[in-house]
Amino acid sequence: MQEKIVNYIFNHPKVIFGGVLLLSLITAAMLPMIKIDTDPENMLPVDQVERQFHNQIKADFNLHDMIVVGAVNQSPEGIYNPKSLQALLTVATQTAQIEGVIDYDLMALSHVDNIKQAGPGSIQFEWLMKQAPSSQVDIEQLQQAVDRLPLLKNTLVSSDYKASSIYVPIADKNQSHRISLEIQAIIDSVDSDDDYHITGLPVAEDTFGYQMFVQMGISAPMAGLMIFLLLWYFFKNLKFIAAPMIVAMATVIMIMGAMIGMGYTVHIMSSMIAIFLMPIAVVDSIHIMSEFVEKYQAESDRESVIRAVIADLFKPMLFTSITSAVGFFSLMLTPIPPVQIFGAFVGAGILLAFVLTIVFIPAYLVTLKKESLDSLRKLHHSKSKLSGWVKGMGQFSVKQHKSVIVFFLSVFAVSIWGVLQIQINDNPVRWFKTDHPIRVADKVLNEHFAGTYDAYLVLQADTAAIESSFFADASVLAPLISSHVEEAKNSDMDFAQQLNEWLYWAEDQLFDAQDQLADDLEQFIALIDQTNIQLAAFKSPDNLAYVAQLQSALQQSGLVGKSNSLTDVVKTVNRELRGGAAVAFDIPDSQAGVAQALLQYQSSHRPHDLWHFVTKDYTSTVVWVQLKSGDNQDMSAVVDYMAEHIANKPPNQLISIHWAGKTYLNKVWQEEMVAGMGMSLISAFVVVFLMMVLLFRSVLFGLLAMLPLTLTIAFIYGLIGWLGKDYDMPIAVLSALTLGLSVDFAIHFLQRARDIYAENQDFNLTMQMMFEEPAAAISKNAVVIAIGFTPLLFAPLMPYITVGFFLATIMAVSAMVTLLMLPAMLRALKTHVMK
Amino acid sequence: MNKILNILMLLLTVMVSQAATIDHIISQANLASFYAGDDGRSDARMIIVDNKDNKQMRQFVILRKDLTEGGDQNFLVVFSRPSDVKDTVFLVHKKVDDEDHRWLYLPALDLEKRISSSDNRTSFVGSDFFYEDVSGRNPQADLHELLKQDDAFYYIKSSPKDPNAVEFKYYTMQIDKQTHLPMVVEYFDQSEAIYRRVEVVEVVDVQGHPTVMKSKVSNLKTGGYTLMEFRRPAYDLGMEDDVFTVRSLRNPPKNWLSGQ
Repeated sequence: MQEKIVNYIFNHPKVIFGGVLLLSLITAAMLPMIKIDTDPENMLPVDQVERQFHNQIKADFNLHDMIVVGAVNQSPEGIYNPKSLQALLTVATQTAQIEGVIDYDLMALSHVDNIKQAGPGSIQFEWLMKQAPSSQVDIEQLQQAVDRLPLLKNTLVSSDYKASSIYVPIADKNQSHRISLEIQAIIDSVDSDDDYHITGLPVAEDTFGYQMFVQMGISAPMAGLMIFLLLWYFFKNLKFIAAPMIVAMATVIMIMGAMIGMGYTVHIMSSMIAIFLMPIAVVDSIHIMSEFVEKYQAESDRESVIRAVIADLFKPMLFTSITSAVGFFSLMLTPIPPVQIFGAFVGAGILLAFVLTIVFIPAYLVTLKKESLDSLRKLHHSKSKLSGWVKGMGQFSVKQHKSVIVFFLSVFAVSIWGVLQIQINDNPVRWFKTDHPIRVADKVLNEHFAGTYDAYLVLQADTAAIESSFFADASVLAPLISSHVEEAKNSDMDFAQQLNEWLYWAEDQLFDAQDQLADDLEQFIALIDQTNIQLAAFKSPDNLAYVAQLQSALQQSGLVGKSNSLTDVVKTVNRELRGGAAVAFDIPDSQAGVAQALLQYQSSHRPHDLWHFVTKDYTSTVVWVQLKSGDNQDMSAVVDYMAEHIANKPPNQLISIHWAGKTYLNKVWQEEMVAGMGMSLISAFVVVFLMMVLLFRSVLFGLLAMLPLTLTIAFIYGLIGWLGKDYDMPIAVLSALTLGLSVDFAIHFLQRARDIYAENQDFNLTMQMMFEEPAAAISKNAVVIAIGFTPLLFAPLMPYITVGFFLATIMAVSAMVTLLMLPAMLRALKTHVMK
Repeated sequence: MNKILNILMLLLTVMVSQAATIDHIISQANLASFYAGDDGRSDARMIIVDNKDNKQMRQFVILRKDLTEGGDQNFLVVFSRPSDVKDTVFLVHKKVDDEDHRWLYLPALDLEKRISSSDNRTSFVGSDFFYEDVSGRNPQADLHELLKQDDAFYYIKSSPKDPNAVEFKYYTMQIDKQTHLPMVVEYFDQSEAIYRRVEVVEVVDVQGHPTVMKSKVSNLKTGGYTLMEFRRPAYDLGMEDDVFTVRSLRNPPKNWLSGQ
């Protein structure tokens, strides 16, 4: 079989070249269809429960994605000075006119209403800051007004008066990078000495997408260049090293093209596919080429050398490719779609790279002019510096096998200790480096304000009992009425809307109804009125008081900067209606009192603001929670704290409480990912182990093959635990890479050791020979991949840096473990393994 | 002879229409919209619809008495629905040369309140109507310009004398030549994009007065709109002056609230 393939390759090199070229061209043609997706929401499947709930809440309460603009004035007078206020007004007014900004929901000092006392017994609604005040008296009045309004205090102006913010709602979050640039242009054109900052999750996401796109164009080619230079250093033959480069390029193009062509969006994870595939694709080539160079002499026949090389390497290469692919395919077990796609395509890419290596490299080597390979004969790379060290390592590990084993055991123990300290945490804003303007803005604004990260605590009343009692009461009324209700009962309109419709209908009917029917219609109308009142759970003073109680618990948690709710609105309006004294800051005694206060609230310039807090039928309400940190950890802590609080002080039994909001969703996918990663790692581990047992037809060898990857994974995650680096998405995905690459080295090492031993039946000689070409190839591979990814360290995006750093570490560690631990283990188990 | 008469009639018509200056058109529109009869009452039902078709309802009776034709007038608005705001009352003394006087009564809070009315362009109880749409914008607040006319309508553009007092840059009106009612009013923002439209949907003759029975305000930004329907309108009922005093806040005049 293998023989036949090689024969075909030797006879039809042009078919191979043509095929690879054609496939590359076809897939490359799909690359321009690329669609970038940076929405962390997509970490969850579209139909995921919490995600659907979040989007339902966004729709029900008209909640938009927000860009947050903050102005900071560090001088003693702070933001309350004529110049700063004028600048804020100008920025807000012009920002409201940007295409894609929802101007009627924009929040700024100049764009919200003030409710205040206007002389004795009189109240007034007016724009809070229609014109920028210039006199000290007017400025103080503005400051007092803001301090009196709980919805604005510490949200629009910081409590230290140093900063003011503008909340810019946008219709489409994919426009936020453009809109933030336009806002920046407005800020630049305004006469102001204040420091302006722009942040908010949508900006972070969209800007990240933009940067990611740039990085794909920079990092991956730079990595390619680095690999090229290293290969040049090792082989010093341009035509020779062109082969692995072609294999790597073709693999990346075909996989990315296929992925984009199949309609998958490029997410943060998939943007790194090229970076992951590049090293894995050259690994097999390096094995082939190292061995080729070793065996290739002046007089040797190229074809037979290649045959010998393929015969030696086919099996280990096939197995390493399959095991690496399994490592990545296992990612498909996580419930995170971008990670699934990443795993699927990297896994497929590894298999593709194997096929390309096996068919392309031999065809290429045979086709090259003989003279092109002449220089290779001068290479005695087994005598290079690197090989010298590697040989030393081999001798050391065999001689000192007990100390080596003890050493690795202690490293393992320390690593496990580190793993136990891992902090599971992520925050999309932290995907930028600390000095990125978005990180700076995030830091500064959260220092001054109650927090720029939103989460929503949603309270929903169960209305089923009210509905069924309504239908029961309506069914005994005049047939005209009961049949009308029965007919409309199953329409897709919600119950509150149906009540409205029935009310109109009843009134129209009443117009010319007589006697009994008229009485029944009157009764029906009264029933509807009464049902409407029952439905309106969040006009009830008790429930509003419960909301206030939840808010004070949120505050007591110490993790929440501030929360805003319908109760705050009701209390504020009630206070102003009752003369403005602080004692009147309370919930009215009756439901009608609440309704009448809210009717006043709606007589402002922004009546629609109410519907950000409560649905029109008053059956659900949201508490807007402002957090100073977008870390999943902090969100988790708030959620846990509130769960406990709610368990101790449960709401009225018909009310259910859930979380929504972007910060909360981030926490949800983080948790799903951690659980999913554990699952995928374990299953990959088991599958790889079974394959090893199968490959070596020995349980002992299977266990030995698993040693390097077990140690490396433990070490890497132990290191992450010790360094205090958060376990975030890129880190989680590294486990698959570690698993794939570490087992790769182990397979090559063990397979070759067994083959050599089978020939000479001498353990010491085998080890000596192992540290010639095979160990050299392994260390070469480790160095190529480790150094090849140093360009990633210069990327402005943290996930890229993380991947670059840990890739290098993984390579170094797993090569070290393979070359030190395996010989030591083989030596210790000599009598059992080498028979 | 007949011919000469016809020509004379024609000349007369032309002269009259030229005499119908812009001020006259506006003043007639104002009278037709807000001053029909010496007093009047109507049931009103407002349906507030948002861009997702969620509806809210407001029901009230509106009473009006003119003090001078085209001048000061008084309004009393008594709510009946939603039932939890039943008996909430607004009293407005509209002043042409001064700020209106407005009072409010909230029964559940047992609260009588003056409302300062420096700005009449706030929402009327959460609807897309402004207070000004209900009680009438003072024609003197704007500069009016006749853009064109055809057989049916005058087309007018009105710009505020004090641009800082309002949110629009200007508005346009289509005034029906027959009824003098502005049938469509459209408001333009600072970038001259239309963002708000007030339309008369249905007109019925009541006691000789063309009376708006249904009107609609659309907020083109939010995508929401409000429909206002009138029922049982009646004019010249001989309402007493004391219907429109602060006493009526707590004791609305029952006899005028129910339609005849």
